[in-house]
Amino acid sequence: MTKKQFLTKLNTSLKGLSSDDREDILQDFEEHFTIGLEEGKTEEQISASLGSPQQIAKELVATHRVEKVNETSTAGNIFRAVWAVIGLGFFNLVIVLGPFIALTGLIAAGWAVGISFVAAPLLVLINVALHPQIFELFDLFVSIALAGLGLFIAIGMFFATRAVKNGFVRYLKYNLSVVKGGVKHA
Amino acid sequence: MNVQFKKGVLELCVLVLLDKQDRYGYELVQKISEQIHISEGSVYPLLRRLTKDGHFTTYLKESTEGPPRKYYKLTDNGRVYLHDLLKEWKEFANGVNQLIEEGVNDD
Repeated sequence: MTKKQFLTKLNTSLKGLSSDDREDILQDFEEHFTIGLEEGKTEEQISASLGSPQQIAKELVATHRVEKVNETSTAGNIFRAVWAVIGLGFFNLVIVLGPFIALTGLIAAGWAVGISFVAAPLLVLINVALHPQIFELFDLFVSIALAGLGLFIAIGMFFATRAVKNGFVRYLKYNLSVVKGGVKHA
Repeated sequence: MNVQFKKGVLELCVLVLLDKQDRYGYELVQKISEQIHISEGSVYPLLRRLTKDGHFTTYLKESTEGPPRKYYKLTDNGRVYLHDLLKEWKEFANGVNQLIEEGVNDD
């Protein structure tokens, strides 16, 4: 690969990064080529030792995505970060996607329980409207108690969701520094 | 050597190299690849990440041969991080060496 091909490939693989970031990154590699050429290496040699521009870009994009979650953590941002980290290598499919699915499942289940408890009195009222002959005061009291419990669960889930999200972002960051990506087998 | 393993060590190598003096990217890459077989390009994402995490600062300095070069400088924060990693590494390496010696003696 010539320098130009290398930089072009790198640039096109850096989709999603701001143009400032891209320019900065390309500048670093430009500098690397310049010094290498001064030392008498050819463009081909330099790009061969640098490795795949796509793999380098993947790593830069993954770091960028994880950082974005740190700034604003919308569901979309979290999914993009998880996806980018998984893209770094097959190994990550297991150690990132597994915990992610498990945690998302737990959180979703917690919210489902909380919300359905809160909605319990409403369900009792619907039931009464549909079958007025089987109304029991007991049902209403139990459902109101459940609703109270549900509120507590929902409040708890709010904090749990935040804690799990922060923990998971830290886990992603840790993966970026340890897990496969761009390093050759010896 | 195991790929996962190497990547974590790469971080330590970069930090160690910057402990005594500021260096530019190409220089760091050369120093490391003299000792360990790596994809040289993977050092740059690492440098960027550690800079964003506040472990390094960067500045441009004129060079005699060509355009200015981007130098990396270890921050106080980075130095603390380096010493943590170094401590972990030493404990780990000592443990593994110990096991190897015991293993060899048994033969």
